[in-house]
Amino acid sequence: MTRRILDHPVLGKIENNNYVSFIFNNKVYKGLENESLAAALLSHGIRTLRYHEDSGSPRGFYCNIGHCYECRVSVNGQSGIRACVTPIKEGMIVESNGPLQPLNKEDRRLENG
Amino acid sequence: MIICRCEEVSYKELATTAAIYKCSARELKLRTRAGMGYCGGRSCRTMIDKIANTSASTQDRAYVSLKYQPPIRPINFGNLGGQNK
Repeated sequence: MTRRILDHPVLGKIENNNYVSFIFNNKVYKGLENESLAAALLSHGIRTLRYHEDSGSPRGFYCNIGHCYECRVSVNGQSGIRACVTPIKEGMIVESNGPLQPLNKEDRRLENG
Repeated sequence: MIICRCEEVSYKELATTAAIYKCSARELKLRTRAGMGYCGGRSCRTMIDKIANTSASTQDRAYVSLKYQPPIRPINFGNLGGQNK
């Protein structure tokens, strides 16, 4: 089921019909080629793009113009890619990053010398 | 209300710190970590400046706002070294 606006009252019907599939967190989704990753996922109702590294609270896109880096995801293994300004291509593998594993006390002591 | 989203710093936390220490924007940043996150303070810098500047004793002409410094965008070492050229 898509939440995409297919017939907009002002902008009219969507002419682009070039759907491509991509993988987000091990599930296959379809989106229009060259639309932003964030838009493609939003059309499937996915608003949580990653989880905060420290607290683990869910994050989605915020500024949507590439400034805030809230929507960063991993694309084809490369991390820190902004979902709001990255056009989707066929076969992209997208993963959201979760909270980082906290160091235990022993490791921390070693790290601080 | 969250001001710095990268480091999850709330307005309350910033306002309280600014009220207690009556500090400069830079000191406020260092005390709370607001503006030190992944985005480099791109979304909250002006708000931190504003909060620091409104606490009474810092309102003077010598006030220095938070600076911009390289890299202006987060970049990984691979790209910096031209790995993906």
